[in-house]
Amino acid sequence: MADAQNSSTAVSNPGATSRTFERLTHEFMQIWQVVAALALIYLVFFVLSPPFRSFDTLLSIFGQASILAVLACGTTVVLISGGLDLSVGSIFAVVGVSVGILLAEVELPVWLAVLGGLGIGAGLGALNGIVQVATGVPAFIVTLGGLTAYKGLAEILASGRDLSRFPDAFQVLGSGYVVPMAIMFAAAILTGLFLTKTRLGIRAFAIGGNQEVARLAGVPVKRSRVYYYMLGGMLAALAAIMEVAKLNFAMPARGQSYELFAIAAVVIGGTSLFGGRGGVGKTLIGMLIMQTITVGLSYMGVGTSYQRIAIGIIIIAAVYWDVWRRSTR
Amino acid sequence: MAAQPVLEARGISKHYGGIVALDDVDLTLEEGEVLAVVGDNGAGKSTLIKALTGAISRTSGTIRFDGEEAHIETPTDAKAAGIETVYQDLALVNEIPITQNVFLGREIVRDDWLGRIFGVLDFKRMDREIRELFTKLDIRITDIYRDAQAFSGGQRQAVALSKTVMFGKRVAILDEPTAALGVRESQMAMDLVRSLKDHGLSVIMITHNMQHVLNYCDRVMVLRLGRLTAVRKVSEVDGDTLVGLITGTLQGDAKDG
Repeated sequence: MADAQNSSTAVSNPGATSRTFERLTHEFMQIWQVVAALALIYLVFFVLSPPFRSFDTLLSIFGQASILAVLACGTTVVLISGGLDLSVGSIFAVVGVSVGILLAEVELPVWLAVLGGLGIGAGLGALNGIVQVATGVPAFIVTLGGLTAYKGLAEILASGRDLSRFPDAFQVLGSGYVVPMAIMFAAAILTGLFLTKTRLGIRAFAIGGNQEVARLAGVPVKRSRVYYYMLGGMLAALAAIMEVAKLNFAMPARGQSYELFAIAAVVIGGTSLFGGRGGVGKTLIGMLIMQTITVGLSYMGVGTSYQRIAIGIIIIAAVYWDVWRRSTR
Repeated sequence: MAAQPVLEARGISKHYGGIVALDDVDLTLEEGEVLAVVGDNGAGKSTLIKALTGAISRTSGTIRFDGEEAHIETPTDAKAAGIETVYQDLALVNEIPITQNVFLGREIVRDDWLGRIFGVLDFKRMDREIRELFTKLDIRITDIYRDAQAFSGGQRQAVALSKTVMFGKRVAILDEPTAALGVRESQMAMDLVRSLKDHGLSVIMITHNMQHVLNYCDRVMVLRLGRLTAVRKVSEVDGDTLVGLITGTLQGDAKDG
């Protein structure tokens, strides 16, 4: 009976099955090269470095990736919509310190402190968006201002305070591999569903592709942009909460340059810096590529300074590859 | 005499600082007609339709729709009134699929709690409506999930024009629907324009192609240097007269009539 019903809907509605199929093949064509690159990089280190071969190494790659990957999910949405947020590393710092205060001084229950932190992140992200759409000042400048202003705010909030020794229930959010990885996958899946299944989400691609066409088609471009920045701020806040929980202390220096690592992962994964194209799955793979290289080079005794040079070259190569692929299509 | 006009614009002006892009232009669109708007580059054609549809703000002028004063200040106002516009070069987003382009700005959400709370979309319904629409208009595009970029100029224009049938309840405004199209593609696009009439739409069309004016339109209005210089029935003019009016070698006469 149930089978009969299913097959009859499938026949009367061929569009539905072909949509799924088309989407999957389309996604695969876009993503297989990046996956292959990740596999290749992993294989190279696997061959070159015996200690790299353990399962623990694999876990630590995921573990190190998880916090930045959560942040990068937000960066993905903002970049797809044709925006840019350089201030998420500083939002990260403000939220880390704020959650520390809420837990250590105000002694709020853990869930309330977490909600408060997410709210602060969303608010600061939204502020970036509101200032942009209200003044017309470019994203680069507004969020560069946010980068230093929010950093200052974090320092003011943290000065003279000892923010450490948080409740066990809070530390769980960042300790070990299982919970951070679960949070990472949950954040990625929810962000992915937002981008592909909801009205506000799919409009990010249209706005990033051509905001004037979107505006003329009746899309509320300015309001939508504010929401994307808000989501970016909220995911930065979630990442900050994970890190404060992991370290068991909060300080305003955390989060520095995280916005750049996030942008790097997004771009390596294949999301366009110029808007309109991309996805969260790509960003996860991009983040794993970055972490695999970092961890692999460490195992081979290459210092962090050289690792940074390597990552820098890879970012440029990733964008060059994207540009080359477009020009030959 | 015919019923009242669908659209009646009076004294439309648009100033950019000291520059007068559009000076006191009147426009009347009768029910079921195709009205051509012609003029040389910089005559104010695009400015006129953008001012009519709320894409840019008017310096002055009033718009009556079905005899009633209409407050059209944004593109959304125009759409709500039943006016659907295809802007030149601004019709489709290259980076997104045909499906999403057709419903851009008017996506259908699911009729359940997921739709109401999270804005989850009803893809099945949108896909079905697009396939029905394309069948009705004889548009042969099957891979509606591909990005708009992948299609030819003629196919893209067909998709853009199809939106006017899907959503335009009364009026379709087209800014050079055959610009950048080849001869055969232009022919197909113009056949589609003609069929808009059969779907209950009145059409305003900007064009540079005098043959299209003479073959497909009912009336023609000529703009020159931001002013309306002449309005003619197509059956009462020829190509030479139109070119004369456009270039100014022939003097125009009246206001809109």
